[in-house]
Amino acid sequence: MKTPKIRFDKVTKRYGELTVLDSLDLDIAPGEVVAVIGPSGSGKTTVLRVLMTLERINEGVIWIDGEPMNRMRQGDALVPASQAHVRKLRSKIGMVFQSFNLFPHMTVLGNCIEAPIHSLGLPRAEAEARAEGLLAKVGLADKRNHYPSQLSGGQQQRVAIARALAMQPEILLFDEPTSALDPEMVGEVLEVIRELARTHSYTMLLVTHQMGFAREVADRVCFFEGGKFVEQGEPNAFFTQPQSPRAAQFLSKVLQAG
Amino acid sequence: MNWDWTFAIHTVMPRLLSGIITTIEVTILAFLLAVLLGLPLMLLRVGKNRSISVIVGEIVEFLRSTPLLVQIFFLFYLLPEVGITLPPFATGVLAIGVYYAALCSEVFRAGFEAVPRGQWEACTALNLGRYRTMRDVIIPQMLPPIVPSLGNYLIVIFKETPLLSFVAVAEMMQAAKLIGAEFYRFSEAITLTGLLFLILSLICAALVRWVEFIVNRRIYR
Repeated sequence: MKTPKIRFDKVTKRYGELTVLDSLDLDIAPGEVVAVIGPSGSGKTTVLRVLMTLERINEGVIWIDGEPMNRMRQGDALVPASQAHVRKLRSKIGMVFQSFNLFPHMTVLGNCIEAPIHSLGLPRAEAEARAEGLLAKVGLADKRNHYPSQLSGGQQQRVAIARALAMQPEILLFDEPTSALDPEMVGEVLEVIRELARTHSYTMLLVTHQMGFAREVADRVCFFEGGKFVEQGEPNAFFTQPQSPRAAQFLSKVLQAG
Repeated sequence: MNWDWTFAIHTVMPRLLSGIITTIEVTILAFLLAVLLGLPLMLLRVGKNRSISVIVGEIVEFLRSTPLLVQIFFLFYLLPEVGITLPPFATGVLAIGVYYAALCSEVFRAGFEAVPRGQWEACTALNLGRYRTMRDVIIPQMLPPIVPSLGNYLIVIFKETPLLSFVAVAEMMQAAKLIGAEFYRFSEAITLTGLLFLILSLICAALVRWVEFIVNRRIYR
């Protein structure tokens, strides 16, 4: 097998007594789209958060393109990573949040050029051209001078996606990207993500409650519960014939409800 | 109480008005010092360096817990002992400015902590450095909500300037006291001083509300 794009190697994350990630292993191939599903409060979001370095892990190693991220090589040993090392690897990852987290005091365009200018060091004109192209792609070219508060939830989330793409990441993380949206706006956001999955080579990791969507876009579905992946598989097989009783029980509940 | 209009208008007012300039100067300079010093104090306090944070926290606590008048006397009488001689005006601005810097740093901290965690996380996800995160994302968002509190301190500082009459800064209260001592008449000078403070406070409050309005409109339009 090729070097995995992302590898979780016995990753453990605890909050006090509570173990959220329990010696978790996961390999994701370049370009693979993986959906993480599971009960609310199971900590599936934490999988994304530790990968984005929003949370520190207690044990284990996370690898990106065969390079340890929370560690770095020193001779043959792995030592705790420096800030510079983390920043270098983190630049390959972009994230879209459940609550958008746009900068409310900046315009749509301002949101999309802030990091390209000040983190990547792009000239302003180039950053603006890139941002405008991406805003056009998510269908919001005409909103460039609006403030986030002037946009609907669906539009804000599409701006957030454009903002993440402006950093030209190789890995995209979506943390329940439609959970904070009114039902009629879910579609427009899913459409953008679907398009990204179909036409680009991003490696995507997606936490979602939209089972139909997961089945449609993902190459693999991972069912997360109790700090571990209880079951993984190809979406059609997983949704029609889950192997583990827990996954079966979960699916029967959500599919009934939805 | 007897009241002499001629005395009030021809003798008291001109001298109070010359004092009022000093009062306004002290207020503005001390407020600027408080804000410009309060922000770095807050940043050091919330910073990653534990020991610096604790030391700054103690300094802020100390300043907040001792009376301003004592601090003014302290600077006025003790700075010369260590070889630093400042004019009374500068000592007064320094004392009030530093004292309110401690109070403002707490206001800044409240604003700082009110910025949602998601904003920090977005900055991490976008790989922004700490300086850019603070400068472009956190500070611009923490300021508008604390404009009312900062404006309130501006008015409070203005009303505290008479404390400087204790160290002979020629502000309005000092002018009033001198008139009283000279003519053995206090009613006109003290009453007019109070009145002038009232008028200026009201103007100041209106100004603060206007700034608040402008800032909020800019952010949440």
